[in-house]
Amino acid sequence: MKFMNRLKQNKDISTDSDIISAQSALVDNPDGVAFDIRDLNLYYDDFQALKDINMEIKDRSVTAFIGPSGCGKSTLLRCLNRMNDLIESSRVEGEIIHKGQNINSPDTDVVKLRTEIGMVFQQPNPFPKSIFDNAAYGLVCQGHKNKSFLREAVEEALIKAALWDEVKDHLKRNADSLSGGQQQRLCIARAIALNPEIILMDEPTSALDPIATSRIEDLITQLKQEYTIVIVTHSMSQAARVSDETAFFLLGDLIEFDTTDNIFQNPRDSRTEDYISGKFG
Amino acid sequence: MKGRRYLSDRIFRGIFLFAALFAAAMIVLLLVFVTVRGIQPFLPSYPERQSILPFLTGMRWRADQGVYGVGFIIINTLVGSILGGLLALPLAVLSAIVIGRIAPPKISQALTTVVETLAAIPSVVYGVFAAGKITALVDDIASTFGISTYGGSSQLAVILLLAIMTYPTMTSLTISGIKAVPLTLDSASLALGATKMETYFKVVIPGARSSIFAGFSLGLGRAFGEATAVSMVAGNALIGPTTSLFERTRTLTSTILAGLHETVGLDYDIRFSVGVVLMIIILVTNAMIFGVKRHFDKKAEGK
Ligand SMILES: Nc1ncnc2c1ncn2[C@@H]1O[C@H](COP(=O)(O)OP(=O)(O)OP(=O)(O)O)[C@@H](O)[C@H]1O
Ligand SMILES: [Mg+2]
Repeated sequence: MKFMNRLKQNKDISTDSDIISAQSALVDNPDGVAFDIRDLNLYYDDFQALKDINMEIKDRSVTAFIGPSGCGKSTLLRCLNRMNDLIESSRVEGEIIHKGQNINSPDTDVVKLRTEIGMVFQQPNPFPKSIFDNAAYGLVCQGHKNKSFLREAVEEALIKAALWDEVKDHLKRNADSLSGGQQQRLCIARAIALNPEIILMDEPTSALDPIATSRIEDLITQLKQEYTIVIVTHSMSQAARVSDETAFFLLGDLIEFDTTDNIFQNPRDSRTEDYISGKFG
Repeated sequence: MKGRRYLSDRIFRGIFLFAALFAAAMIVLLLVFVTVRGIQPFLPSYPERQSILPFLTGMRWRADQGVYGVGFIIINTLVGSILGGLLALPLAVLSAIVIGRIAPPKISQALTTVVETLAAIPSVVYGVFAAGKITALVDDIASTFGISTYGGSSQLAVILLLAIMTYPTMTSLTISGIKAVPLTLDSASLALGATKMETYFKVVIPGARSSIFAGFSLGLGRAFGEATAVSMVAGNALIGPTTSLFERTRTLTSTILAGLHETVGLDYDIRFSVGVVLMIIILVTNAMIFGVKRHFDKKAEGK
């Protein structure tokens, strides 16, 4: 029933192949879809922050969430690894199918889910521990104790996060001694160390200078070979540079979701056009 | 305008400086006074002159025989205070986690008030409680092992009392330490697939390390210095060191306090010497706690 609604809602914009892949989504996540979000509503107490969101986030690609402040981008991102659970007042309805399972189901092993879906926050938030201990944190929590295993995993994660060369000689130093951009790459490394399938990033460069930002953007482009990346950003140019698909939100509604090229070159909705051309937001 | 502001700035600086110097002067005055009185019995001019070594290492305190040895009292004090403090520490940290992280805001606020109230209760009240309840409890425990006690006055009673008395101080400092750990670190940890417990033990508690150490040393300071309540349950053993939890004990403070107003001469003066020993022990312990903290800092923070 819900599914039919969804088809109707999307009818005018979906192609045949969309419908086919959406149908197979009924059975299981087809290859190529990381999250199938169905009729998602989220409330903070009485306030509805997300309204009937339906979208498919593709595997091994970069999806950008854009929209004016307060439109629900971070809220939706936090739904994808159940971080909204931590906000007492939040209540969620609808389904998010990931690997054939509804992650909103009470049976979901949230701890396991979060090892498979990494998250990078707006402000770099390394632990007040050594660089090594930061990168190894997730693995240590998983119960890995073997020193040489940890050392290799940390090295690999730091290499992937393009931080290794800068820190390899002082892994024991406190992470606070790193620059903001390095700290953010450490936070990315910390998530990568767990070998997740998906990385969620909430405005990962908003606290960084242009050089650090472009390093993180390069990194995102590299990482998308291996990982599915969902990124919230306020920078139109960033969304245009790094993402394959872009979703535009307004006041809790998903207004338009399409390839980044289409969103930026021929938006269908006039509100999208207004937003990307800087008329509001 | 600018001149006025500079002037008032200078005046306030003066006031602050004076306040700081005054506090420092009071401490120095106190130390000098106690020390000067405390070394009197060991000076050649003193009629019943004592020797330092037998005083410090002596295992008997027999005022009736004129024998004053604080060796066993030092040991008893250290054992009682440190065990009391170590017993309180995990409870304090766990309570602080509950108050600072787990409990909903209203309950957490109520519990904080309880802890602060506990910290403000005068020691004599704890003493009365201990003399009435803790000693009875200790006596019961002892009798299940077939051991008889002096009405429950014992090392164990002192340890339990000091655990209860140091708990509020440790807890309230730990709470503020835990609240100072940014919630963004909790989020980071949880997002990496840590459980809440792992987050508390691997991120929040290590992050509150400084406050936990500060709370522990303040608590130990209170334990070492606590006289009134401890005197009510120590039983003032005459010889030692106390080797069983159920035996009577004697602490430096209970020694200073016992019969203070009914005595004169050496028996009075020697109490200042005991005071000097107490001050030294507190200084040394604080230095040791600081050393341990440095070690932990290095290990935890890298570098
Ligand atoms: N913990 C919360 N409790 C109550 N309301 C919240 C909470 N977090 C967010 N909201 C509300 O939900 C709406 C969406 O917030 P959200 O943080 O998802 O927006 P956003 O699109 O990420 O904004 P920004 O670009 O400023 O980060 C806002 O109106 C916000 O006030
Ligand atoms: Mg946000």
